[in-house]
Amino acid sequence: MEVKSTNIDNVTVLTPVGRVDTVTAKAFEDALMAAVSTNKKIAICFSEVNYMSSAGLRVVLMLGKKITSLNGALVLIDMPDKIFAVFKMSGFDKILKICQSFEEAKEFF
Amino acid sequence: MFVEIKNDFGEMDMLSSKISDFCREQNISDEKHNNIALIVDELVTNVMSYAYPDGGEHTFSLKIEKCDNRVCMCLTDGGIPFNPLSLPNPDLESSLDERPVGGLGISLVRQLSEAVEYARVDDKNQLSIKVLI
Repeated sequence: MEVKSTNIDNVTVLTPVGRVDTVTAKAFEDALMAAVSTNKKIAICFSEVNYMSSAGLRVVLMLGKKITSLNGALVLIDMPDKIFAVFKMSGFDKILKICQSFEEAKEFF
Repeated sequence: MFVEIKNDFGEMDMLSSKISDFCREQNISDEKHNNIALIVDELVTNVMSYAYPDGGEHTFSLKIEKCDNRVCMCLTDGGIPFNPLSLPNPDLESSLDERPVGGLGISLVRQLSEAVEYARVDDKNQLSIKVLI
């Protein structure tokens, strides 16, 4: 799967594209772990994700734990409703920072 | 609709396009389509990952039909006896540090379904799932 990466104000913004499921979770995980090895301030933009299963949630949770252990910051931004629904059902809206936009996320970095 | 599925993750694309076709034919909304796809994905992933520890090639099946305002699905596999509903629900209130990685799939299935039932029938695992649409 494609995961776009850009740097804004010293934050690495990752934008996965398409489906995040059992088939693509490993590539998603590799991209996230590669990013955190160079920067512990990360935003994941979900605007181009059209489907997410628990395999994807698992990877985001692992990254969240890792970034917390590094005293970094992880913010999830720009989530379509159906993707947010999956995060909410898993209770992840209570343990991870979720913002509407990068502008809104800035204060957490 | 009746689909035969090999225990190979390469089958997932085929399966998701069959689910899309079914939902389109039955005029099921995008939101409900996403929920149905997610339920099937989570349960089929479980079967592929755990039902056949011998690693050989096996085939299992999914039946899916619309009855009034419900979609009824039946997933049947001849793998080792396993009831995914016996798994404890993850504690959705625990903190980031305490939260175990994994076990979320079946929790999503429970939340998205009106009813999920497991039975062991003729040496097969059978999961029946009802979803309100």
